[in-house]
Amino acid sequence: MMSKALIPLAVSAIVFFCLAMSFAQEDHARLDNYVFEKPAMPPALFDHDAHNEKAGIDDCAICHHVIENGKLSEFETSEDRPCVECHGLSPSAENAIALRRAYHLRCKGCHLDRESGPIMCGGCHSRGV
Amino acid sequence: MHELYMIVSGPMMWATCVVFSGGVIYQLGRLLRLLLRKERSLLSYMSLRYSLRSIAHWIIPFGTLNMRRNPLITLVSFSFHICLLIVPVFLTAHVVLWEEAWNISWSCLPGPVADGITLVVPAACIFFAWRRLRRPEVRFVSDPADFMFLVLVALPFLSGFYCCRHWPGYEVVMIVHIVSGQALLVSLPFTRLAHMILVWFTRSYMGSEFGAVRHARDY
Repeated sequence: MMSKALIPLAVSAIVFFCLAMSFAQEDHARLDNYVFEKPAMPPALFDHDAHNEKAGIDDCAICHHVIENGKLSEFETSEDRPCVECHGLSPSAENAIALRRAYHLRCKGCHLDRESGPIMCGGCHSRGV
Repeated sequence: MHELYMIVSGPMMWATCVVFSGGVIYQLGRLLRLLLRKERSLLSYMSLRYSLRSIAHWIIPFGTLNMRRNPLITLVSFSFHICLLIVPVFLTAHVVLWEEAWNISWSCLPGPVADGITLVVPAACIFFAWRRLRRPEVRFVSDPADFMFLVLVALPFLSGFYCCRHWPGYEVVMIVHIVSGQALLVSLPFTRLAHMILVWFTRSYMGSEFGAVRHARDY
């Protein structure tokens, strides 16, 4: 009798837990991937401020760089421009580092150099989180 | 994990490429040397036309009499070989790695399709193992190494499927995936898996002998 009475309680607890988890998922920031027509993977998890604080990145130009005449600009940065403006979607002679490659080289490359941060697909393109 | 990944995807991958390419060249050289030393007469009737005729019949599903007589093994065998070649080449995760390293890329399989055909390979391996155990004519020519090769072939695909799903602990499984793929490539030229390289010559020889000497079909 007692165990039957516990069933609705258990069901409610499970529903509440699932709802809480699904709302909690909204808190994870992801990179905007709107430029990719048919993205093969979920957008990468990336909380800009938390990431940079943890990685100790103060120099915006590490990611938001500007290349002029083949050289990294010392003074100019590109926070006001989308990455795709320079890194087009398709590689070409003028676009040596296409957008997907640019993201992977920038993120994974840095993580490998520092031996810290995700280096495999699911570390950033997480399906479940 | 970073260090391990760097080792398996760096020096170990280069070593794999060197051993694989060197092995393929060695096998071709060995074949040529044996041909010139022991079977030089074979050169007198080798025929491009009959070679290509034989290869064409054996590469097309149900293109030979024996394939038509055994539709199940034909279906499984062709599905297995096609998926075995398509998945590693056209999987998005692999193309991305080529793109990162060499700035080259090509079309990729849609995710659900890739998932499905990845599983065809281990499923076919289970079928081949069952066949080796149950069919007397196959059991007679099977030894433990044959079952080991089935595991070796299935492992990169099973581990790859696991990694694609991002299931728990997939980072470790990814290392298993890479290393098992490398083991497969390294063993390929030196084991019975070398039929990938040698089958073309086997068919050329059979096609030429049947076509140019016996005036018969080998399919």
